[in-house]
Amino acid sequence: MRKTLSIVASRLVQLLIMVSVLSFVTFVLMKVTPGDPIRDLLNVDDVVATKADEEKLKKEYEFDQPILVQYGKWILNVMHFDLGESIISKRPVIEMIVSRLPATIALTTGGMVVLFLLSISFGTLGAVYEGRWPDFISRWVAMLGASIPSFWLGLLLIYFFSLKLNLLPVMGKGTLAHFVLPSITLGVAMAPMYIRLLRERLISTLQSPYIEAARARGLTKERILFLHALRGSLIPLITMFGLSIGSLIGGVTVIEILFSWPGMGELIVSSVKQRDYPVIQGYILIVGFLVVITNLIVDLLYLVVNPQIKQGKETV
Amino acid sequence: MEPALIKSRALKLIHDPTMTIGLFLALLLGGVTILGGWLVPHDPFQINMNNRLQGTSFDHWFGTDQLGRDVFSRIIYGAKLTIGLGVFAIMIAVVIGVPIGLFSGFIGGRVDAFLMRIVDGILSFPDFILAIAIAGMLGPNLTNLIIAIVLVRWIVYARVVRGLVLAEKEKEYVLVSKVSFSSAFKTIRMHLIPQILPDIIVMAAIDVGKVILLISAFSYIGLGAQPPIPEWGAMLNEGRSYFQVVPSLMIYPGLAIMLTVLCCNLLGDGLKNYFDIRKRRG
Amino acid sequence: MVKSSLISIQDLRITSQSAEKVLISNVNLEIGKGEIVGLIGESGSGKSLTARAVMRLLPPDMKVSGKIFYKGTDVLAVNPKEHRHLLGSGIGMIFQDYRGSFTPFIKIGNQMIETIRTHYKMTKNEAKSIALTVLEEMGLESKRVYDSYSFQLSGGQVQRAAIAMSLALKPDLIICDEMTTALDVMSGERVLDYIDQIRNKTGCSVLMITHDLALAYKRTDRMYVMNQGEIVEEGLPEQIRCHHKHPYTKKLCSCLLALPAKKSIQKKRAYSV
Repeated sequence: MRKTLSIVASRLVQLLIMVSVLSFVTFVLMKVTPGDPIRDLLNVDDVVATKADEEKLKKEYEFDQPILVQYGKWILNVMHFDLGESIISKRPVIEMIVSRLPATIALTTGGMVVLFLLSISFGTLGAVYEGRWPDFISRWVAMLGASIPSFWLGLLLIYFFSLKLNLLPVMGKGTLAHFVLPSITLGVAMAPMYIRLLRERLISTLQSPYIEAARARGLTKERILFLHALRGSLIPLITMFGLSIGSLIGGVTVIEILFSWPGMGELIVSSVKQRDYPVIQGYILIVGFLVVITNLIVDLLYLVVNPQIKQGKETV
Repeated sequence: MEPALIKSRALKLIHDPTMTIGLFLALLLGGVTILGGWLVPHDPFQINMNNRLQGTSFDHWFGTDQLGRDVFSRIIYGAKLTIGLGVFAIMIAVVIGVPIGLFSGFIGGRVDAFLMRIVDGILSFPDFILAIAIAGMLGPNLTNLIIAIVLVRWIVYARVVRGLVLAEKEKEYVLVSKVSFSSAFKTIRMHLIPQILPDIIVMAAIDVGKVILLISAFSYIGLGAQPPIPEWGAMLNEGRSYFQVVPSLMIYPGLAIMLTVLCCNLLGDGLKNYFDIRKRRG
Repeated sequence: MVKSSLISIQDLRITSQSAEKVLISNVNLEIGKGEIVGLIGESGSGKSLTARAVMRLLPPDMKVSGKIFYKGTDVLAVNPKEHRHLLGSGIGMIFQDYRGSFTPFIKIGNQMIETIRTHYKMTKNEAKSIALTVLEEMGLESKRVYDSYSFQLSGGQVQRAAIAMSLALKPDLIICDEMTTALDVMSGERVLDYIDQIRNKTGCSVLMITHDLALAYKRTDRMYVMNQGEIVEEGLPEQIRCHHKHPYTKKLCSCLLALPAKKSIQKKRAYSV
């Protein structure tokens, strides 16, 4: 219990530090940015902007005030779950982002399923047949998976499965079939490091005394591998997931653009192109929050799957 | 180094198939990058609307794009950009990160604790998102993307180098050199740098690949290189409406990215084996 | 001398393929029904390798030749499936590292059920009642141990649970590989008492692998001395102690005699001299 509390506390501190540093940095960057955001904004509408229009907009978005005042106001609003409103669509930022969240989470879940299947199968293959040809295949799958650009893989998949073979829908979201290609793309992009990590952990687990004891009890090979060895080796993968949540969010962004998937990533990319600052800032804040919360969940999950830590007997 | 030693080391390098393929690719890509300007059969920017969306032919090996530009020439020319920028970004990151890591680890104490606290704070934030933030604030283009990459990457090097320095510091030879009054600078140069160099090289090799993936991904989603720059990701972005008609527009730029990143990963893996990094660290 | 042989190891030889090194050679060893046989020697002498050859637990890069007859069948020649069955119902093994006796993140009870049901066709509840019975027989709080993870118990308790587990399969031979080395003296003695007890009750044989001569004197019917991969001497405990022929045994014994002698050994000595 004490351990749990200290984990929660340290993650909260991390959240505070990260959010304040990042929001401040983005604020300063916005201020020193060479392109004037207000002018950009006026240009979007393709009208000739007058000096008066500019002043009016500046007042409206409080760009005329000192940066610390602006920052302070923003932070105060954040505490009330108010992230301001979009310059372009005039909708509240928090609403815009939250409405996109389910699509992103759905895609991520699909990707995780593919990731799980890929890493279990190739990681196990590599460990069980260490040094033989299945291990060689596992190694090259990981190597190629780490080298292929995810958006290109997505393009190839669309080309073959949607355009040539007409099996799956190209873009958008709706039916289960829409999930298949984006999930595969995301899963493949994430899998390589998990495959390698699982392989290594499984190799060392298979040499551990408790596996020897299980073999001495005459348990079947499959039982030992899947119920005893694999379970122990999956634990570090959970930690890995916490660490790689950032690149996961990045990977999802690219795939959402590729498949026109209406998630958070698609929103942020169009906001960056339109330089819709409140949305960008809100997005960074929410992603930071998601990263820390995911890591908190991972920490707690780790306690559950590894009962030894709860006892204070941490094993390496 | 003696010639015999060099020869045996070279043999050891080539003996590993990973390394052989990696080196072969590196030579090929390096050659293309450096000689790019002289190799291109056509002007990569020359628009020719009469000759657009052609398939593979003797004159246009990889066909032409939607504006009639020669895809082969654009890919060759783009190598300089994609590979050059990847290597450049990592070089800058190494040049900033390694000294800070050395300094922080060598000085230790409060300075170290303070620096690392900052580093941890930023590191826990995904680099992709930071790059998006910077692109969003400074505007989406190649320069800002490189700035974002360097901003995140130097930290990784500082962190790793610091860790290595702390480990090496415990060892006797560093202690000895401290006692013998040789300056800290000399200790770092003579003892620490040769120890940490292999790790840095391996990391940098793999990182160049990662950065190239990041640059091309950003260019593909329109936040990196902007048209008509023949960056490979940007080429895929520009041609994406025409893939169904001319698949070669999709195949070759992607293949170029993949081979380049593969080369980096193979070299990284091969060098890791060559330097025996895991064994050395026990 | 051997009443009726249960297991007979003949000309066992193990070489490591990678280093082309002979690890053990010319090992001949026989265990009769109901006998407790000691296999002593210092660490690295090849005792554990011998046991692992019987269990076929050696790493794949080690080559084994020779014959190991268990109830007339050559353990080394049968197919893996038959051998696996043999392990469950014929030969049980208790290891030195009690932390590795059970998989750490599965409750002991579940592992017992899993093992019992691998070898005997029965329902989960039947297996559970067997598990609880054997845990009880080992002097453990059966319910609590059944619901525990191995790291929640003491070393002695884990080893007793491990014995209970092999007991549940009604084995004919239990191999104890340095079973008490990692335990404190009191729990070690207690575990050994339980081994004696089940031997008397079920009539199974025991191969006691140890580097502890005193333990072997006190607990075994007959013993083998192993040194550098070979068996150098064989005999009754008194023979080994007082009438040894091999210089290595002599060295071993002189080491022991330098220690304060145990009561039981003093008794035996008075009798045999």
